[in-house]
Amino acid sequence: MVVTSQLRTGSVFKVGNEALVVQKILRQKTGRGGTVTHFRVKNIVSGQTSDVALDSGEKFESVDLDIFQMKLSYIDGDTYVFMEQETFEQYEISKEDLGDNAGYISADDDYPIEITFYDGRPVGVTPPILVERTITYCEPGVKGDTSGKTFKPATLDTGIEVSVPLFCEIGTRIKLDTRDGTFVERAK
Amino acid sequence: MDIDILCKVVDNYGDVGVAYRLARSLSELPDPPRLRLVASDLASFAAIDPEVDATKPVQRVRGWELYPWNGAGTGEAASAFRARRPKIVIECFACGRPDWLEVILFDPASEEGCLIVDLEHLTAEKYAEDFHRMPSLTRSPFVKKAIFLPGFADGTGGLLMDGSFARARSRASSESGRSAMRRELLARLGSSPSGPLFPAGSVPALAEDLFWISVFSYERDYARIVADLAAFGAGKPILVLAAAGKSSPCLASAWSAAGKPFPLVSLSFLPQEGWDEILLTSDFSIVRGEDSWARAALSGRPFLWQAYPQEGRGHMVKVAAFLDRLRPYSAPESSAALSALEELYLSFNDRERDGPEETGLESLLPVLSRRSELLPAFTAFSDSLAGRTDLASGLVTFLREIV
Repeated sequence: MVVTSQLRTGSVFKVGNEALVVQKILRQKTGRGGTVTHFRVKNIVSGQTSDVALDSGEKFESVDLDIFQMKLSYIDGDTYVFMEQETFEQYEISKEDLGDNAGYISADDDYPIEITFYDGRPVGVTPPILVERTITYCEPGVKGDTSGKTFKPATLDTGIEVSVPLFCEIGTRIKLDTRDGTFVERAK
Repeated sequence: MDIDILCKVVDNYGDVGVAYRLARSLSELPDPPRLRLVASDLASFAAIDPEVDATKPVQRVRGWELYPWNGAGTGEAASAFRARRPKIVIECFACGRPDWLEVILFDPASEEGCLIVDLEHLTAEKYAEDFHRMPSLTRSPFVKKAIFLPGFADGTGGLLMDGSFARARSRASSESGRSAMRRELLARLGSSPSGPLFPAGSVPALAEDLFWISVFSYERDYARIVADLAAFGAGKPILVLAAAGKSSPCLASAWSAAGKPFPLVSLSFLPQEGWDEILLTSDFSIVRGEDSWARAALSGRPFLWQAYPQEGRGHMVKVAAFLDRLRPYSAPESSAALSALEELYLSFNDRERDGPEETGLESLLPVLSRRSELLPAFTAFSDSLAGRTDLASGLVTFLREIV
């Protein structure tokens, strides 16, 4: 069993006999009773996507998955091509199917990425928990503010927008937590 | 229509209070649904509804079947739910399902359909509109699920408005009705078997004519509030009604330390309808949690809400969201009074946790002094809430649309 609070982008779970993959985590609300999360999920077999709100305690059947370590070889438009490092076999996953995780990976990265296979097909990826990315746009940094408590929006080299502390500048290399997209620290 | 309401009591009486009010509201609808209730804490339920017998795990109350969440009586509960399989289940506050019901709902041999509705906590935040009526999932394609959010805005599930509360609210809206309610309350509470409202010899003269302030909050140091009440009471005689529960000893302690500067009554625990009447007849209230918050908002009288504390002061977002909902009802000429109210809300709620030692920088006096300027905004806000579809009616409409 897997509970909602364990689901993240790329997770696969079952409703009856249908396997669903989490494509995006769109919104989350936390109250006294727990968290309700708005997910975009895709039915792996039918390809149909739907938006659902799941409360944190709901339990689902987990799915037997094959997981292989690969590297992102290149990106061709909206297609991400991953290569198995021993067999050099290549697998394609669409940007849509990568969901939020597309924003954390780049062909420039040297680290391996877990590719999830269901029924012989790649259906999602799990990037490392911490990844490094480069800021390509943000408002100018505020010198002296090293508290890290006040944030501003920043665009990364993969095109996604995240919140970063005021001291960050264009070109700053940062570490992100891929579980929720939060800034961790300036990369050393 | 058959509806099963699940309630797992997490903290005090608020959870079961909402479930109880929901059950009463549903039962008052035209063509009411047949209800079964599953509650984890019968003692709490019995405290707010005297018709509930806390010693009987399985019973019939007000025409509803009442079953236990766990412990004695769950075998009987499981038999009853197997004999009449649930069609619609309301999970109050995403409380989940008891194990015995989980087995019935997710029986692999059954393909009978069921809809679970997660009735979430009340919030003034925008996400209530975003998440309200969203589809959800369970692990079975036969057990559908959806989210239902109460709220203060159009596009949410609204607030519960049971008949008893609506009648009392209507009565309290006129000065003569409110005075009569106060007289009845004083008489009724004065002869309560759980103890007199006023200790012998301490009944203030003409208690019904005083400025009533009811208090029901979480634990905190009440010294600042008591000082402000004393200052306000010096110009306008007040009566403070302290609800039984966490805030009562804190308030009583600060009141004693200040030399008992105004009449204060420690109420014994009241059934839900009795507490509603206290809120509706008070000139100002300090309330906490969810159900009393909703009742205070519907009362049309100024009040201070203390939100349940959340990690990282997450509750401050909820407090600010509520102020955002209230602000449009305030006239420009009352901006100073509204500012005082907003400062009071923010300072009173600005804490990491609750406890008798927790202090704040709240100033109640400027708000009490300007209460008459705030009254029109609270009345208009209350009327707009009451004018919306009540939660029970909206819920049944929703159920009819999707079942």
